Amino acid sequence: MPNEAGRAYGLTALCPIKHGAEAPQPGKPARSFAARTRDLLQDLNEAAESPMACVPNTYLCRFLVLDNVAYQGDPAKLDRLRSSYLVFVADLHAGKKSEEGLRRYLEGMWEHAEPTVRSLWEHCVGFDTVSSSDAFVRYVKRCQVENTLYFNGSTDEPLAEQLKNLYLKQEFSRFAFEHQGKKGAELQAAFGQFLTRTRPHDLSGPTWKPGARTLDDAVIDPNPPPQYLRSVPTGASR
Amino acid sequence: MSTPGSPVTLDLHDIQGNIVKAYSRYDYSHARYVLFEITDGQAGRGFIATLAERVTTSAPWGRGSTEERPESTLNVALTFAGLRMLGLPQASLLTFSPEFATGMRGRGAILGDDGPSGPERWDPVWRKPHRIHVLITINGVSRDAIETAYAFVTDITGRYRAGVRCLTGHRDPEGRNDMPYQAASAIEIDGKPTPKEHFGYTDGIGNPYFKGTGEHPENVLGGGKVTRRDATTRAGWEPLETGEFLLGYKDEAQEFPEAPMPPLLGRNGTYMVYRKLHQNVGSFNRYLDAVGTEYPGGKEALAAKFAGRWRNGAPVTTFPTEAEAEAFAQQWMAAKLKIQQTPKGPAREEAKAAFAQLNAKFVAFDYSKDLPGAGCPVGAHIRRTNPRGSLEFGEAFAFDTRGALTNRRRILRRGLPYGSVVDPQDDTGEHGIVFMALGANIRRQFEFVQQQWVNYGNDFRLGNDRDPIIGNHGTTPEGKGDGRMTIEAEPGGGRPPFLCGGMPRFVETRGGEYFFVPSITALRLIGEGMVDPT
Repeated sequence: MPNEAGRAYGLTALCPIKHGAEAPQPGKPARSFAARTRDLLQDLNEAAESPMACVPNTYLCRFLVLDNVAYQGDPAKLDRLRSSYLVFVADLHAGKKSEEGLRRYLEGMWEHAEPTVRSLWEHCVGFDTVSSSDAFVRYVKRCQVENTLYFNGSTDEPLAEQLKNLYLKQEFSRFAFEHQGKKGAELQAAFGQFLTRTRPHDLSGPTWKPGARTLDDAVIDPNPPPQYLRSVPTGASR
Repeated sequence: MSTPGSPVTLDLHDIQGNIVKAYSRYDYSHARYVLFEITDGQAGRGFIATLAERVTTSAPWGRGSTEERPESTLNVALTFAGLRMLGLPQASLLTFSPEFATGMRGRGAILGDDGPSGPERWDPVWRKPHRIHVLITINGVSRDAIETAYAFVTDITGRYRAGVRCLTGHRDPEGRNDMPYQAASAIEIDGKPTPKEHFGYTDGIGNPYFKGTGEHPENVLGGGKVTRRDATTRAGWEPLETGEFLLGYKDEAQEFPEAPMPPLLGRNGTYMVYRKLHQNVGSFNRYLDAVGTEYPGGKEALAAKFAGRWRNGAPVTTFPTEAEAEAFAQQWMAAKLKIQQTPKGPAREEAKAAFAQLNAKFVAFDYSKDLPGAGCPVGAHIRRTNPRGSLEFGEAFAFDTRGALTNRRRILRRGLPYGSVVDPQDDTGEHGIVFMALGANIRRQFEFVQQQWVNYGNDFRLGNDRDPIIGNHGTTPEGKGDGRMTIEAEPGGGRPPFLCGGMPRFVETRGGEYFFVPSITALRLIGEGMVDPT
C-alpha cells in the first residue's frame, strides 16, 4: 500500500505557488510569491517552538519550496516545473483506517494551527477558496502525491503513546540513577512514589511536551497531582 | 595492480618509519616533537630535501636485515598550509582531502573540542595553525640519543634560517609555555620504561594488522579483521587491506583511496592526526575512589569496566575477575622470563611459542560470547573504539562480514605520554598523551570514531552516552559532570546493571593538527619542487 507503514502514514503534498509577486510596498523591494513563502518557512526555523508541535499525531513534518528539479546523471538535466511548489511532508499516526486517519489529521491541523496554515499556503494556487477544515482537507488531498517508498523511522503508535513512552523512559532512567543500590522495601516505596507521580497509564500527563528536547523543559501535566506527591528529583538530567 | 587475495609487497624503504612498524616496539621510549614555520618556499624546499636524506624508513632492522636499529629516528610530516608554503601547485593542493585542508581546529565541532578542550585552552604554539607547516618527530632509545638528533635538526634549521623557523609555544612541566618542542616519554616505574599511561592503564596493546606487514604474521590475531570463525584462533582473523593505512593501495572497499595527485605524491604516504591530550588524573582518581566504593566489584573492577581492559592490559571480556587477570599477568611474565632463561635451541623456540600463545590473549578475542556486555560493557573504551564485529548485535549475516561496520574505521595508534603526575589527586600540571592516529582517510576513520563512537552512543544502542574515559562529557547547571555509563549485568543473573553518573571530562585537548606523512619519494619531489600534477 502506498503512503502507509502499519498505522503510520506518509503524506506528501505538492501545492503549486502562484506566479508573480506581491504588490510593492513603499521602500521595500517586492518579493515573488515563491520567495515570500520561502521567507516564511525560514522564519519558522527561528521560532522557539514549531507551530506544528500542537497538531495532534505529528511524528515529524517538513515544509519546503521546490523550484526546478535537477537530475544528476549523464546527461544531467533540469526539469522545469510549471510553477514552484510548497511541499508539505508529514509522518503521522493515521490508525488502521488510513484515509480516515489522514482526514482527521488535516482537520486537527486546521483546528490547532490555522494561522500558520493560512500564512504558509497564502500564495498557493486556489487556496483563496479554502475557508474551512473540510475545504483544507479537500485541498491537500488534491495536491497529494502517492508515496510509494514510505519508510517510517519510529513506531506506529499514536503520538500520545510515544510521548508518554519517551517521558517514562527518561524518568525511569533518572529514577534508576537516583535509587541505585537501595534495598527491597525502600526501593519498593520509592518505586511506588514514582508510579504515583508518573502515572504510566495516564496519557494525558505527566508526559512529554510535543516538540520539546530535554526532560527538564518537556514535562507537562494538565492534571498535576497534589503538592505532597510532587517530589521532582534532581541529578542526572539527560 | 594487485588482484583480490594476492599478497601485497611494500617498498618499506620508501615508507616513513612508525607507520608499518610501531617505534614503541623497539624500545624508543623518548620522543621530541618539533614544529616549524616556512617563510620562504625555496629555503623550505631545501630544508625538506635535506631532511629527506635522513628520514627513518619502515625498512626492517636487526636479524635478517642489513640495517641495525638506530639510536634515534627522524620523521617528517606536513600540514596543508605547509604544502602551500612549499610551493605545491594549486592543482595538487586541491587533491588533498578537505578535512586535511581545513585542519584540526576547523573540525573542532566534529571532534567535540569544546569547553575545556577548546582552542583557547591549547598550548600557544597550536593556536596559530596558519603558521604550523612542518612537524619533525624524533624518537630515541635514550635522552642522549634525542639530544643528538635534536642538535642535528637544529643544525639543519640553522642552515635554512632564511626561510625556516622553529616555532616556540609548547608548554612544559616546569610551567613554561614557550618551549621549542614537545617532549614525550614512556612512564618509568623503578627506572624502567613501561607501556602505561597516566590513568594507570597499559596502553597501545591492539593495533591494526594489514597486508604487506608480513614480518610477524601472528599479529593478524586481534590486529586484522574478524571473520566468522573463532576469534581466539588464526582462522578468526584476516589482514586488513593496505589501502586503509597507506595511500596507493586497495582499501576495504576494494578501491584505491582518494589520494593527492600526482599518484607519486600520495603513494606510500598517509595522513596523521596529532593530538595533545591532557589527563585530569585527579578527577579520574577521585571518581574511581568515590564510585568504586559503591560498585560491587570495587575500584579496580570499575576501572577495568571503563576501559574494557584491566589496568594490566588483560581484556575484561576474557578475564572477568581481577584474580583471573592477575593470574594471567603472572603467567605472562613467567613465560617471558623463561625465554630469557632458556638457552638457544629448540627449547627456547618452544618457550617463545608458549609465550606467543599467552601474548595473543591480550588481543585475540571478540565480543561474540559477550554481546549483552556483562563481561566487557558495550560502552567501554576499547569496545567503542574497536567493536570487533559486535555491531552485528548477534544477528548472524546481517552484513557481509561481522566486521563490515568496523573494518573501515580502524586507525594505527602511535604516540607517547608526556609529563609526569606529581600529585595523583591533582588535575593541573602537565601530563597526558601525545596521541597520533594514522590512516588513509581522517574523515572516515579517526573523525568518525571520535564523533560517532567516542562522543555519541547511538551505534551501540546507548543513546547519548559517551566514552567514559575520553568522551567530552559536559557539565550540568549545578556544575557536575553529566557523563554516564551503564555497566551491564549478566542477563538473568539476578543482579541489576550498575549505572555510573556524574562523570566529569577526564581528558581534554591541548592542541594538535592534521598532517600528511609523505613517502620518501614524495618528500624528495616536494623538496626538489618537482611535483607536477599534469
